[in-house]
Amino acid sequence: MAEAQIPSEPTASPEATSPRGSRAQAFRETVFELIRLDGVRGGLIVTPDGLVITAELPPRFPVEALAALAATLGRELELGATRLERGAFRTAMFSADDGTVFVGGSPVGYLTLVADRNVNAEAVRAALGRAVDRLRGTWRNAGAA
Amino acid sequence: MSLATFLERTWSGLTGLVRPRSAASLFRLADQYRHEGRYEEAADLIAEGLRLAPNISVGHLLDAYLHVVFRDMPAAKESFRRVLALDPYHPRALFGLARIALEEGDIEGCRPFLDRAIQYFPDFPEAKALQEMVATWSAPAVAAPAAVGTISTDRLRPPPGARDLILTHTDGTLVFAQGSEERQRQLAQHMIQVYRIASATLARAGLGPLRRGVVEGASEMTFLRSDGGVILGVALPRDIDVGAGLVQVGRLWTDLNIKS
Repeated sequence: MAEAQIPSEPTASPEATSPRGSRAQAFRETVFELIRLDGVRGGLIVTPDGLVITAELPPRFPVEALAALAATLGRELELGATRLERGAFRTAMFSADDGTVFVGGSPVGYLTLVADRNVNAEAVRAALGRAVDRLRGTWRNAGAA
Repeated sequence: MSLATFLERTWSGLTGLVRPRSAASLFRLADQYRHEGRYEEAADLIAEGLRLAPNISVGHLLDAYLHVVFRDMPAAKESFRRVLALDPYHPRALFGLARIALEEGDIEGCRPFLDRAIQYFPDFPEAKALQEMVATWSAPAVAAPAAVGTISTDRLRPPPGARDLILTHTDGTLVFAQGSEERQRQLAQHMIQVYRIASATLARAGLGPLRRGVVEGASEMTFLRSDGGVILGVALPRDIDVGAGLVQVGRLWTDLNIKS
């Protein structure tokens, strides 16, 4: 069977939009700030529906696959926190032999960072927490406008 | 210029500004807003577009996406189904339903959606990532406490304020958990899901198997540890330092004398 083309995301691409002053601009600035931290290799923000709002990852990283998994992980962490009455999900980190993945939860979506094994986890987690608070603020302000 | 002429020109200008827009242009603008994170405005445009053209699949797809963003999963499911009613093999609608089934813990329900999406669209990295992840999953099993095997839970010394202490095999079989039967079931289901999805994410990023995890909620911190055979989880008070929490989990791990 000839390989069919997957219909892309409906009509627009992130590049086609004018993000000035929009939430998207704030999202991008947030990711840029976090990936400047020592030991952080890259990051992305993915919405709960899997749309990658912004991604700054090294070329070898499979962005679409990571985004799908990050959105699924973010949703599970969000749902679990609610079901188990642990308060709203804020951040998570998962470490492996060769690196660490951080996830921050916000109404907008999930901020995911890929970092080295020896990253200063506490510093990254604190910065991620502040970023998550800013994203929540962006959501609230726009909702109130 | 007379008042009548002025009013006529003003009215003509206003009506020119509010010329009806096509459903396609509404959906295009809605999608642009969605990419910019302007979800409320996007939702209004989609509703208007669907009133004009209720049988355009892209409108229902955008509608579904917005419901997911607002965490209204029943409405999202309905909209994804509307897309499939118009286009039975729409991969993104199939993928959307797969993800909802997954978060509902319906693994068997999730697989056919992913299989169908990939059958017709083999080069679909998001669907492939989830398909590979769920390929080896089964529903978590609950074993009797006697099935502890080589793991001894007798010497466990839970730290002060510890809650929801749980130990499971990575295949989902529960070894030990605190709390009521219902609480144990919820804990086990959630921990296994987090372990599996986080493991798949780490693997996809080329980082290796999951060893430790810390999940920060507004009122508690949950710590995880795994050796690939079993998963130990415990919730500690929110104000605990991450390093101290990991030390506590390490102590529990030693108490259990886990030999995998």
